[in-house]
Amino acid sequence: MDFKDYYAVLGVSESASSEEIKKAYRKLARKYHPDVSKEKDADTRFKDLGEAYEVLKDPEKRAEYDQLRKYGAKADGSFEPPPGWQSASGFGGGGYTEADARQFSDFFEEIFGGRRRGGFSGGSDSGGFRQNMKIRGEDVHARIALFLEEAFHGCDKQVSFTVHEADPHGRVIPRQKTLKVKIPAGMREGQHIRLKGQGAPGIGGGEPGDLFIEVEFAPHPHFTIEGRDVMVTVPVAPWEAALGATVTVPTVGSKVNVKVPKGSTSGRKLRLKGKGFPGKHPGDQIVVLQVAMPEKHSPEAEKLYAQLAEAEKNFNPRSRLHV
Amino acid sequence: MNKQDHILTVEVFDQDGSTFTLREICERGECHAEFVIKLVDYGIIAPLEDSPEARQWQFDVAALNRLRKAQRLQRDLKMNLPGLAMSLELLDEVEEMRREVARLNHRIRQLMGE
Repeated sequence: MDFKDYYAVLGVSESASSEEIKKAYRKLARKYHPDVSKEKDADTRFKDLGEAYEVLKDPEKRAEYDQLRKYGAKADGSFEPPPGWQSASGFGGGGYTEADARQFSDFFEEIFGGRRRGGFSGGSDSGGFRQNMKIRGEDVHARIALFLEEAFHGCDKQVSFTVHEADPHGRVIPRQKTLKVKIPAGMREGQHIRLKGQGAPGIGGGEPGDLFIEVEFAPHPHFTIEGRDVMVTVPVAPWEAALGATVTVPTVGSKVNVKVPKGSTSGRKLRLKGKGFPGKHPGDQIVVLQVAMPEKHSPEAEKLYAQLAEAEKNFNPRSRLHV
Repeated sequence: MNKQDHILTVEVFDQDGSTFTLREICERGECHAEFVIKLVDYGIIAPLEDSPEARQWQFDVAALNRLRKAQRLQRDLKMNLPGLAMSLELLDEVEEMRREVARLNHRIRQLMGE
């Protein structure tokens, strides 16, 4: 078992006052709250913070911890509590105040015997676990990132999520669950799908909770989504823009021929009705034209450009810059 | 992991008009109706159609998700309702801006032909 340095977790010194500890905890809890932070390890950091604060805010537990820290920690960072160790400030009756104690580490449990005795306390507003009571299992909210094509056509997808369930001793333990689900065609960002009964199991014969999955889109190399519309930037040659042309344009999962009107400019938008997201009210695909130049010109082309420069002498592409 | 190979068909929640009543959202959110009514009063969550009669309220799954979030923030950061309302609004705004920035960066890269 690894030793947990609660002082380092909170970023305070060993001699920090309880006021300093409280301040540090509050600040870091705001920063790493999983509902606020975008950092990848926010979840773990927040749990560690709660655990560290649970111990250091309580003078008795802090004293015990300090003692263990002095004698229990080995040079290689591993930890073994002294034989016969038993916490005097144990967690028998008291609830947890600041954090969700179900998630505390093995290290914590070894020292203070948290989960074993504390059981269901802490966490939800509904109070502790009472026997002979039917409790519906918790709903689980998860997210899934789909590629546009997957959302468009539907797909089979694997989802992993964590459910909290009670073991035979009434301890709540997190369990990783993986399911394969069939995503129907035409899902949009922000929509939810539900898997009935796939959340946490119920207690005392209560119904299991549901799993809700919110759909997100992974960035696409060509397409961007605006509501129900699909945007795509399509390069055209200067002569195609000037003279008009029929060009092939990709749509999600297919392609279509589009007429570029004569005299088009860069940034012109063409709307392809009904080629956006499918559904009762299908969206449109919006093609944004972008005039592209060849990287090199042949001597003939240069000659033609020189003629063009002569013919279009009055065109000032920089008129907006007033030069 | 026992169900890993079993492909489950899902229910699209917000498309077929599935919603929660006040009672259902309380049950799923493990809270009292008073708490949900307060969240509605503060504009933290909103029923799909505003009705003065709380018993007629219907909530979507996003409201349930937000209710859970509000509970966690209240529990973990000791926030009161006005503070909760403001932080959730700001978090929404931040989220919206992050998305917008990601989308614009993406568009710029496309326009630059990268």
